[in-house]
Order: sequence, then C-alpha cells, then structure tokens
Amino acid sequence: MRLRILSRYPGFRLLDIIMPTFIAAMPILLGQAIGGGAVRAAQNFQANTGTTNYVAYLLIGSNVFMMVSGTMWNVGYWLRREAETGTLEALYLAPTGRGAILAGIALYGNLRMMVNFILAFTLGALVFGVNPLQGDILLALVFLFIGLIPLFGIALLYGAIILRIKEANALIRLAQWAASLLMGLFFPIAIFPGWLRFIALAFPPTWMNNGVRASLLGVGFFFEQWYFDLAMLGAFCVIVPLLGYRLFIRTERSVQRDAGVGEF
Amino acid sequence: MSQKIQPQTSNLQLPISNLQIYLAMVRKQLIVMTRYPIDFLTSFVQIFLIILLFSFAAIMFESPGASASGESSGSGAVMMYGFVLFMFASDTLWSIGYNIREEQYQGTLESLYLTPASKFASLVSRVTTIVIWTGLLSIAAIIFVQFFLGRLPFHNVGLAAVILVFTLAGTFGIGFAFAAYTLLVKESAQATANFLEFAIMILCGMFFPFRALPEIVQMISRAIPLSYAVDAFRSTLMGYPRGFPELAPIETEIAIVIAFGILSPIIGYWLYQRAERRARIVGSLAEF
Repeated sequence: MRLRILSRYPGFRLLDIIMPTFIAAMPILLGQAIGGGAVRAAQNFQANTGTTNYVAYLLIGSNVFMMVSGTMWNVGYWLRREAETGTLEALYLAPTGRGAILAGIALYGNLRMMVNFILAFTLGALVFGVNPLQGDILLALVFLFIGLIPLFGIALLYGAIILRIKEANALIRLAQWAASLLMGLFFPIAIFPGWLRFIALAFPPTWMNNGVRASLLGVGFFFEQWYFDLAMLGAFCVIVPLLGYRLFIRTERSVQRDAGVGEF
Repeated sequence: MSQKIQPQTSNLQLPISNLQIYLAMVRKQLIVMTRYPIDFLTSFVQIFLIILLFSFAAIMFESPGASASGESSGSGAVMMYGFVLFMFASDTLWSIGYNIREEQYQGTLESLYLTPASKFASLVSRVTTIVIWTGLLSIAAIIFVQFFLGRLPFHNVGLAAVILVFTLAGTFGIGFAFAAYTLLVKESAQATANFLEFAIMILCGMFFPFRALPEIVQMISRAIPLSYAVDAFRSTLMGYPRGFPELAPIETEIAIVIAFGILSPIIGYWLYQRAERRARIVGSLAEF
C-alpha cells in the first residue's frame, strides 16, 4: 500500500535520487575552493582522512545519511499521516497484530532506501566522474543491510516521540542534523573530541557509514578488521530494535489510555 | 434612488490602517511563535550543528597548519557570510508559501481573505518575526564560528546592510511567487521547495566561491540575481580581497541587487494576486 502511494508522487521519488548528489556537491565544491583545486584538495583530504577519493567518500556519506534520515522518518511519518487522515484509530481497532503492521512499514522503508541508495550513488558517481564499482562492494552491501536493522529500532524510537508529542517536526529536524554530525557525514569521527567520539560510537549509523566507506575506499575499520566492526553492528541489531519496540509499545499504550491516538 | 456608498477611510488613513493591520498580524505571528518554545530552541541549536558540520568538512580540505596561518578564516568568511544570507533568503523565500498552506490546513485562509484586511500586509507579516529571529541567530552564529575558524574579516557593514535589505526585498518577491505556486499546486509545493532550496545553495554559491563551480554551472549562476546578491554581500563584508567580487564589478552587482529588490516584489505580488484570483474563481482557496 505504501509503495502504491509512493508511486503516485513521482516528484518525491525523483527527489530521493537527486538529493544525495546535491548534499555531496556542497562539501566537494567547498573543499575544492579551500584546497585550491581538485588535486590539492585530494592531497589535503588524504592527509586528514586516508583517502584521496574525497568525491566517493562524500557521496557515500550523503547516501548513507539519506538512508538513515529516510528510515528514521519512515515510522514517524506514517503515524503522523494516518493520524492526520483520520485512519490511525481505525487501524488500531483492526484485528491485526502490531508486529505485522510495523514489519510491513519496515519492509517498505528498507526496500525504498536500498533502491534509492543504489540509484542515487550511481547517479552521483556519474555526475562527479567517479567509478561506482570499486572496493569490496559485497561487504559494503552487507554493512548496509545489517545497518538497516538497528536503524529500524531508532525509527521506532522516533515513532514513539511522534505518538507522544505529535507535532514534533522541529525536534525531528534537529535530530536529523545531530545524526548527520554524529555519523560523520562529511568527515571521519576521529576529528571529534573524546566525549563526542564516544557518543558517535554509540550511534549505529556511525558504524554503518564507516563500514561502507572502509569496504569501498579502504579508509580503515574502527576495530581494524571488518568482522569486528560487523560484530559490533550485529550487537546493535539485537539491542536497538528491542529497545525501540518496547518503548514504542509502552508509549502507544500510554497514549491509548489518554485517548490520544486519534488526536493530532 | 441609488445612493453612492462613501469610503470609510480617507487617503491619509489608509496607510495608517494598513500599518496597524501589519503590526497586529506581526503580533499574532509572534504570539503563535512564543507558544512553541521548543521550535525556538531547536532552530537555535540546529544552526550550530550546521556550522559544525560544514566547519569540520572544511577542515578536512585544509593543508596542515592552515588554521595557525589564518588561511582558514578567509574560506570561513566565504562560507559563513554565504550561510547568513542563505538563512535570511530561505526564510523569506518559503515562509509565505508555508504559512498559506498552514492557514489552509487550519481552515482559516478563506475567512481571513473575507476580512477587509490588506493582503499584502498579511503576507509580509508572516516573515517579519522570522527575519528578526534569523537576525539574532546570525549574530550568534558569527560569534560562534570565530572560535573554530579564527577572526572573520568584517568591513563595510553599512553597505553590506543595504545589500542585505535589497536582497531580502528581492527574495520577498520570489516568496510571493512561491506562495502563488503553492496556491496552485498545493501539496507538491513542499517537494519543489526542498529541491529549490538545495539548487539555490549550489547555484548561488552559498557555501563556496563561485570559481569552484564548473563553467557551465557558473553560466546558470550568472543568470540568477540572487547570485550577485551573495557575491556582493560577502565580498563587501570581506573588504574586497583579491578575486572578489567574482561575478561582476561591485558597482554592477549592487545595481543588479537594487533592481532585484525593487522589481521582484512587484512581479511576485502581481503573480500572487493572479493565483489568488484564480483560486477564488475555481473555488480552491480553502482546498488542501
């Protein structure tokens, strides 16, 4: 059903695909201006990050960010839309398990984000003249797929916030900027002071983003070996969705008790 | 026997009553804004997060020791002053359209338009409070960024303020045109705004010098008056260092900005009136 709704808005689909290229274009152009040309920019970037391929580095960052942002919004936006169109209360009265509905929402989100990632990354690579088929693509895809699971847990946390405070757009926007900073959208998190690096490492998308970059560009995994980083992401896969689901159900029950499901 | 109805207000009273309407609507907007303190706080924090994000990105491209040599404050000024103008332009460009949508959602647009209040004052009032808030945010952001990138050059403040005022008037005009577009396309306006916001960031060189753009993109930039406003504003504040302004001599850029500031609101408001009339004729003013 969600896919059918999406198919009715070609503008949004197009935006999904071109947005990461726009986002990456800004630091790329800024970097070239600061470095004094593409060659010097690449040299400086290598000194700071370990790769000369700053275009691919930034493209990966912006595409993973769009994936994170889209998944985070997925549950919250769905809840808000159902509430505004007046169908949320009716949906809650239907004899369908909550798990099945949420799984459907997650499947839709994951499918959309994976297709977007592939198309947007290819488009960005074509626009900036970078080879999209470099490094260990299979490993990068594994990091992406595994990373989507804790992301869904974070999306449930977002959903709980939306259920509770309803018009939470400002908070969500702020959270998106915070997420982009923590996951190292344009830079490695090694640049952060110790306390901020600790917070960034507790945020699953940071591992997902670095995993994809390290697989494709060889910038180095946090634990030196890919399987340790993947194991860490695996641990997040267990903890975050459980935490998110419990909080979501708790908030949902509390909102139902306060007769606030249909309100918006 | 027909009796001609006399107007209730004289020519002198009309501007005064319009001003009163404008002030009353600004007050209403302010009251609405103060009822959402979280929005205030998040917009404040958000600015710092954006600055941090781009400052860290800029640092990645600096040669080792650039910060110590003061090299980074030049690029920081290009980025920061562009960002300040972007914040103002972004407010004026989209706020009018968003507010129109909000009134449609709340079901108050049609009744508001049945009152004898000036529509122009109503539209402008929607941006006034946001522009004041953005001014305060900009000052805070400039102070904050100096901790990261060193002391920013700060020259010709008076002329820069004049350029800013005409730029805002110009973006008001585009804001009216966008509000007209919002009345016509309704929900799809959001996607267009998102797309245009990023397109403007790049085409108008908000965060980087124009020379970083490929030649073909620069040609498009030169066709957009806002690009000259960005270039003139930051070059003026930077004291016209070598290579700035980039698009044209400063006199030419200022002339373009003034023409933009005068013509754009006239054309934009005319477009808005046409769209509004059309919406009334087809009965879609209250639809959303």
